[in-house]
Amino acid sequence: MPITSLFLGAGLVIGVNKGVQATSTSAYCQSCHVHTGADEAWLKSPHFSNESGVRVGCAECHLPPHGSFRHFRTKVQTGLHDLYAYHFKDPESFDWESKQQLEYAVTIVFNESCEKCHQNLFPLGLTEEGGKAHLYYEANAKELELHCINCHLDAGHELPNYKHQKMTGIPVSDESPKEVYLEPTTVTRFENFTEHIPKTSVSFNMKAIEGGTFQMGSTDNEPLRDPDEGPVRTVKVSPFFMGEVEVTWNEYWTFYSQTMSEGRLDPETVYANNASNVDAISGPTPPFGNPDQGWGSGNRPAITMSHYAARTYCQWLSRVTGKTYRLPTEAEWEYACRAGTQTPYYFEGDPKRFSSEGLRNRLFGVDTVNISSHTVYRINSGLKTHEPSNTRPNLFGLRNMSGNVFEYCSDLYATDAYAQTESNITDPKGPGSGSEHVIRGGSYISEAADLRSASRAFTETEAWLKTDCQQPKSIWWYSDMKGIGFRVVCEPAI
Amino acid sequence: MKRRDFFTSSALLGASIPLGVTPLVSSCSSNGNKSKNKESYTPEQLGMPSFAEQAPDGKPLKAGLIGCGSRGTGAAVQFLNAGNDLSIVALADVFEDRQQKCREILLKEKNNKVEDSMCFLGFDAYKKVLDLDVDLVLIATPTHFHPDQFKAAVAAGKHIFMEKPAGVDPVGIRTVLVAARQAVDMGLTVVTGNQRRNQLDYWQAFMQVKNGAIGNVLSATAHWNQGAWWNKLKRPEWSDMEYNIRNWFNIKWLSGDHLLDQGVHNIDVATWFTGWLPEKAVGYGGRARRMTGDIFDFFSVDYRYANNKRMMATARQIDGCDTNVSESIMGTEAVFYTGRKKMWIENFEGEILWQYDYETNPVVGGHQQEHVHLVESIRLNQKVNQAEDIALSTLVSIMGREAAYTGREITWDEIMASDLRYGPTEYALGPLPDYEEGVAPIPGRDPKAPL
Repeated sequence: MPITSLFLGAGLVIGVNKGVQATSTSAYCQSCHVHTGADEAWLKSPHFSNESGVRVGCAECHLPPHGSFRHFRTKVQTGLHDLYAYHFKDPESFDWESKQQLEYAVTIVFNESCEKCHQNLFPLGLTEEGGKAHLYYEANAKELELHCINCHLDAGHELPNYKHQKMTGIPVSDESPKEVYLEPTTVTRFENFTEHIPKTSVSFNMKAIEGGTFQMGSTDNEPLRDPDEGPVRTVKVSPFFMGEVEVTWNEYWTFYSQTMSEGRLDPETVYANNASNVDAISGPTPPFGNPDQGWGSGNRPAITMSHYAARTYCQWLSRVTGKTYRLPTEAEWEYACRAGTQTPYYFEGDPKRFSSEGLRNRLFGVDTVNISSHTVYRINSGLKTHEPSNTRPNLFGLRNMSGNVFEYCSDLYATDAYAQTESNITDPKGPGSGSEHVIRGGSYISEAADLRSASRAFTETEAWLKTDCQQPKSIWWYSDMKGIGFRVVCEPAI
Repeated sequence: MKRRDFFTSSALLGASIPLGVTPLVSSCSSNGNKSKNKESYTPEQLGMPSFAEQAPDGKPLKAGLIGCGSRGTGAAVQFLNAGNDLSIVALADVFEDRQQKCREILLKEKNNKVEDSMCFLGFDAYKKVLDLDVDLVLIATPTHFHPDQFKAAVAAGKHIFMEKPAGVDPVGIRTVLVAARQAVDMGLTVVTGNQRRNQLDYWQAFMQVKNGAIGNVLSATAHWNQGAWWNKLKRPEWSDMEYNIRNWFNIKWLSGDHLLDQGVHNIDVATWFTGWLPEKAVGYGGRARRMTGDIFDFFSVDYRYANNKRMMATARQIDGCDTNVSESIMGTEAVFYTGRKKMWIENFEGEILWQYDYETNPVVGGHQQEHVHLVESIRLNQKVNQAEDIALSTLVSIMGREAAYTGREITWDEIMASDLRYGPTEYALGPLPDYEEGVAPIPGRDPKAPL
C-alpha cells in the first residue's frame, strides 16, 4: 500500500514536472510574448550564442532557479499575469524599450538564477579589471544588493549602445559643419541672452530672472508634501540668469574634451589644484560604460556627473566665458521653478489626481493630461530622459524645472534647513554643514508627488556609487544614479 | 517503515541527505574550555594534513624550478627529499651563475641531473618551463614576480609550490586571488611557503584553540624582530636591474619590505588561528640602520577587526636590539603563546593548561614537510589549495605596510580595490630610472612644504 502511493505520488510529481518544463521552454514563452524586438535582441546576445555552446533560454533568467519553491511561485504569478495581459491588453500599448532599463529589468531577472549557472566568477582569461570587479561583487553583493545586471545589462538581450568598458575618445553627436564662435557673448543689459562657448559651435539660452519675493516651501495642507518642505519662509531673491534647460550633453562633452584628466590623480590633489584656480582645470576622468545610457546625447540633459563635477563645470564655464557661472541656490531654484505661482506645480493640477499611488487612481486611472505636457516623469518617460524641446516651459520660460532629471543646488541638505533661519530672509544659501547636497525637481522616474515645486531631495553619495569598484571611488561619475543633472545660473555683472 | 528502508526509498525518489560536516559541539559554546577533553572538531574536519614522513609512492613527478637562488635551490632539494620518483627537470632564472650553482647542488646532493637544453635564462624563462611537459613548478623568485608566474602556471595547468609572500601590491594580490579560484576549478594542488601551516606543533595548537582551550578569541600579536638581514652592495659591472634583483630582499618593488617577507609568517598564523580579516590598520615604521636598498627596518602596526577585536604586529631587522619571533592569541580564558621551540597555553592565573611536547613529538621543519604534503596532495588527488590563504595574509601585511609608509589609516576595502602597483612594467637588465637607492618612503608632509 505505501509503495503504491509512493508510485502514485512520484507519477504526479513527474507529470507536473513535465508540464512545468514544457511551459518553460523559450519556444513556449515566445508563442505568446509578442515582443519580436526582445526575441531578436536575445538572438544577438551572448546568452544565445557564445564560445561555451550553452544556450540560455527565457525561463532560466526570468524565473528563480529551477527546483526552488520561489521558482514555482514566481512561475504561477507571472503565468497568470501573462495570461491576463495576453487576453485583455493591446500588445501595441506595451513599451518594450522601457522594460530594458535597469530599473525594470531587476524586477524580472533573478540574480540567484545568474549565480546558479555562473558559479565560477573567475574564469580563465578574465581581465584584471574583471577580476577586481568580481572580487568587489563577491565581497559586497549581499550588503549592497548588487545584481549581475547592474554591470551586465546586455547579457540576455543585445543593447546596441550599451558598453561594458571604459569610455574612449570624446563623443560627438553632430558633425555637420557649423559656425564656430570666436568670442563669448557680451552681456550689457539684464535680458535673456544666448551664451556662446568660444572656439566651439555650442551655445545655450539663458533667461533673465527678475528678483522678487516668494513663499518658499509648502504648507501643511499641500497634498503629498513632506515635512522637510516647511516651515514656509518669505524669501527675497536677487536677480540672476538661469539656463532655459538642463545642461545638455553637447555642452558637457565640450567641457569634458577641454578638461579631461586621463591620469589617476588622487582626489585631494585634484581638489587642491582646482581650488587654486591658477592652473588648468582638472576635469572628469573617462567614465566606465556609456554615461548617456545609450539613450543618445546631443540636446538630452547630461547625466550621472557628480556634484563636484557639476561645480567644476561651472568653474570651467566661468573661465571660458569671463562670467560668473555657478549652481543655483535652493532658494533661487524654487523661485525660478514657481515662476510666480504658489500652487503645488507651476501648472494647474492636484498632486493627488496625478499620483500613481493610492487606490482610487489605481482603480480609475491617473490624470495625466496637464502634467504630461509639462514634465517628463514616470508615466510618460519610458524610463529614460527626453530632449527638452517637447516639454512646455513655465512662466519664466524655463523647461523641465520639474521632471526629466533631478538638478543640483549649491546648498547642503538638512531636513530642518528652513527652520534654521529667520522666516524672512534674503538670498539664503543653506545650512553651514552637512554631507549631502540638495537636488530638486524630480526625474524621469519620479512619482507626481516628487515633481511638486516645493519637493526636496538630496544626493546619496554612497548608494549612487555602489557598483564603483575603484578605490578611491570616482569623484566625477556616479555609477548607480542616472536621473541627475544640473542647470547653471549666471550672476549679473555689477 | 524501518529507518534504513526509509533512506533507501527516499533515495529512489531522488531525495538526498545533506552531507555537510557538523561539529559535534558548537564552537561558540561559552564553556568551550570545560569540554577540552572532548574535542569538538576532529583533525579531518579542520583539514589537518597527514604529516607523513614521506609522500606516498605513485606516478613519477617532474618539476620545473622557477627562481634558482638559495631559497629556490633549498625548495628543490626539499622537494626531491619528499618521496620517490621525483625529479627537477628544468631550471629558469635571470642569472647564469645562480642557475649553474643550483644545478651543481642538485647534482651533487641529490644526483638530479638537469640537461643543458633545460636551463632557461631571462625574464621570460618561466614561460619556457611552463611550455614543457612538467607536472608541477616550484616558484621561488623575488616576490614581485609571483603573481604573473602563478597566473601563468595555473593557466598552463601545472600543480604549484609557491614561496610566500603572494605579491608585493594589491594589483598582484588580486591576480593571485583570481588565479587561485581558477586553480581550484581546475583541481590543481597549490602549496605555499608559509611553512607554519605545515608544522605539526602549530597544527596541534590550532586544534586546541579551535576546540575552545583559550575561550573566545579576543586579540592576537605577531612579531618578527631580528638582527640585520643579508644585503648586497652594488658592483660597478651590475646594471640597476641586476643590482636590484641580486639585492632583492632590500628593494621595495621586489620584496614588498620585511613586514611582508618575514612578518607575513606571523601575520598568517594570526589570520589562520582567528579566521579574521582586518577592517583597518594604523602603522608606524622607518629606516634607521639598513645599509642598502630602499625599505624600512622597523614596523609596528595596530590592526582593528569587527567587534573591537585587535592585532598588534611588529617587525624589525636591526642588530643589537632584542629579538622576538613569535605569535600569541588571547582568548577570554587563556592565551596561546609561541616562541623559540616553545608553544603553550597559559591562563590568567599563570597556570600552564597545555604545551607542545617537542621531545615525544619531534617536529619536522615546515620547509620539508610542505613538500611531503605537496607531493601527497598531487598523488592522492587531494587538491590542497593554499593560494587564497597566503594571498589574503599578504594583503593584511601590505595594508600595514602602506599604513606605515603613508601615516594614514588604511581600510581593508581601500587596499582590496587599490590600484597600487610597485615596480617597472617591462623587465630587462638595464637602468631603472625610478629606483632611488637609500630613499625609503617618508610618512606625512614636509613641515616646510606649502599648504
